[in-house]
Amino acid sequence: MTENAPASMYRTDEGMGLWEHRGKVAAVGVGHSPTARRWDGRAETCVGAISLIALRRAIEDAGVDPAEIDGLVMDPVTTTGAYWPKDKPVPPEVVGAFNSTDNPLDGIAGLSAEWILKNMPELTGIDFTMYGPGCMSNAICVAAQAVGDGLTHTCLVLKSWHNYEGRYYQGGANAGSDLPGTAALHALWGTPACYGTALQFAEYCRKYGKNHDMMAPFIENSRQNGLKFPEGYWASHRPEEITPEDYKAARWIAKPANLFDNDLPIMVSAAYLYTTAERARNMRQKPVYILNHAASNTRPRSLTPTLDEVEADTARTARKIYEGAGITAADLSFENMYDGFAQFHQFHIEGLGYRGMKFGEALDFYQTDISIHGPNPILPSGGNIGCGRSRFWMHTDSIQQIQERAGERQVTGVKPEIAVSGGPMPLGGRFTVWSATPD
Amino acid sequence: MILISFDIDGTLTVGDPPGILPMEMVRAVKEQGCLVGSCSDRPISAQRAIWASHNIEVDFTVSKHMLPDVKAEFAADVYYHIGDREDLDRRPALEAGFEFLWPHEAVEMPWVEGT
Amino acid sequence: MKQGVVPDDLTRPFWEAANEHRLVIQSCVACKHLQHPPAPVCRVCGSDTVEWKEMSGRGTIYNYGVVHDCPIRLLQEDQPFNVAVVMLAEDPGIQMYSHLPGTPVDEVPVGAEVEVTFEATANGQMVPEWRVVGSSGEGGEQA
Repeated sequence: MTENAPASMYRTDEGMGLWEHRGKVAAVGVGHSPTARRWDGRAETCVGAISLIALRRAIEDAGVDPAEIDGLVMDPVTTTGAYWPKDKPVPPEVVGAFNSTDNPLDGIAGLSAEWILKNMPELTGIDFTMYGPGCMSNAICVAAQAVGDGLTHTCLVLKSWHNYEGRYYQGGANAGSDLPGTAALHALWGTPACYGTALQFAEYCRKYGKNHDMMAPFIENSRQNGLKFPEGYWASHRPEEITPEDYKAARWIAKPANLFDNDLPIMVSAAYLYTTAERARNMRQKPVYILNHAASNTRPRSLTPTLDEVEADTARTARKIYEGAGITAADLSFENMYDGFAQFHQFHIEGLGYRGMKFGEALDFYQTDISIHGPNPILPSGGNIGCGRSRFWMHTDSIQQIQERAGERQVTGVKPEIAVSGGPMPLGGRFTVWSATPD
Repeated sequence: MILISFDIDGTLTVGDPPGILPMEMVRAVKEQGCLVGSCSDRPISAQRAIWASHNIEVDFTVSKHMLPDVKAEFAADVYYHIGDREDLDRRPALEAGFEFLWPHEAVEMPWVEGT
Repeated sequence: MKQGVVPDDLTRPFWEAANEHRLVIQSCVACKHLQHPPAPVCRVCGSDTVEWKEMSGRGTIYNYGVVHDCPIRLLQEDQPFNVAVVMLAEDPGIQMYSHLPGTPVDEVPVGAEVEVTFEATANGQMVPEWRVVGSSGEGGEQA
């Protein structure tokens, strides 16, 4: 039975010094599945099936014999907010198309390591499996630590998402007539998912004299970069830009957060292959070395994080990132911090002090050249706004930029040597520092 | 004068997900002399691109919450909005003083009798 | 109309007090720390001896957003509506949400004083709500 990674595998505390495995672990393979807005009910497009596609593509990309792979780290939770209805029968033809586990929804509404191994017979050497639940940001921290600790030497990392019919979070308890007492303390007031971030953004605007329109260049840039990400949802299905006019005309979801400050839930899967720096030298792709991983476990004092809590924590996270990697903000070639909701990207990069930025300065920075061709690239992956919700575009892009195979997205105004990516929220995120060299 | 506002996703066949109303129907409505446009969650620039790619000259392209602006800008005897969502189409349409039609009701083009 | 509330073990004292038009917040007997939402133990010192303390029912508006696309079906007919965050007078670190009955949409006076009131939910359970009592806030629309 696969277990969740223990808390000790995340680097959560300040003052831990250089990461003990700095430069000794590398990413060498990337694989993505096709995207879809929602599951169409076919076996070959269920979340399990697209996971197999991503894993096999990552193995192929790395040029590794599957029998050499001895580890698998993944997130067993795949929901975007869509849940399988209690009274809905599980389609037998989908279950029957795979080697199933005891859970009939495995591969349809969730994903176990056991299901993966039953359906990838070529993985004959796996003797280490672990869950890094939350998102890819968590799973890659666990995988990096596991490879560094010698628990596995060649490890697949997987994150997949399923999405079904229906509007976002409008089923289940939200459609019901009452709520349990604990949930009611948060949920009775009907706030959508972006509300907390919108509140922080509102306070940010009041404190620093900024406004919502100043986000427009960031949104436009993110979508432009995302349209250069061929695996992304928007590039492959609906190649639509978001102009500043489009952004400013969009309807509010929770003012001051509008439709385009939110990302689009999709079905998608991605996998990476991690290995030791030594083994990486003989693989097909240029290794991207991991200098550090860092985590935040901070919880807000009460119902929702205040701006003070957010700023204190992003600054603390940056200190952990830099300390463990042995770098400073000046070493960053580019940043790929999370953006799904768009309105906390500025918290992440201000905390990092990216390009010398201080709190309250990011929206002014957005009014300058933040493109992939300038000296100060912002989110070259395009992130969730540019590609759909996966929470992993920024990791894939960081790897590919440093390997100089990001195609049309390749940054040209800076030499891609060191980058940081991670998320999701400022409080509770997981972060990775990537490098072209191990030292 | 009749004004007809079309939602796109889930309503028109070019939508995501596809709806049941073909672009030929929109073209026919336009040729009947109606004021025609789209009111959608798609970026406005994307709405314009869709109409341009089908060579249909529309009178307006607006975001989902902007039906009141359409009514203020265009004088008509009857205003219709056609869409597939209760909360994002029907309710705001009625609040803005539009008649509302689900796509399967619009197939019959019920406004024709009234012209 | 807000959804009904079915009190659970952790929150029953809070909801029972609300039915008596009293606002209570969990407090640690050992270190006096107030916490909301409640928890089985004190989040600061870890003590499992927590009690419920009656509050004055006064506070100030810390922040707000305007909900235009609500996931709760029962509230969708009320859109758009304010959701403010109130800080309690006893401890500004303790937050409560409010629809601010009586305050026009997007005209929320941030920083203004509020006082607690109680409102019935769909199943009759009372819930704390807040009304503006002064006009000392900043006011005005979101940026």
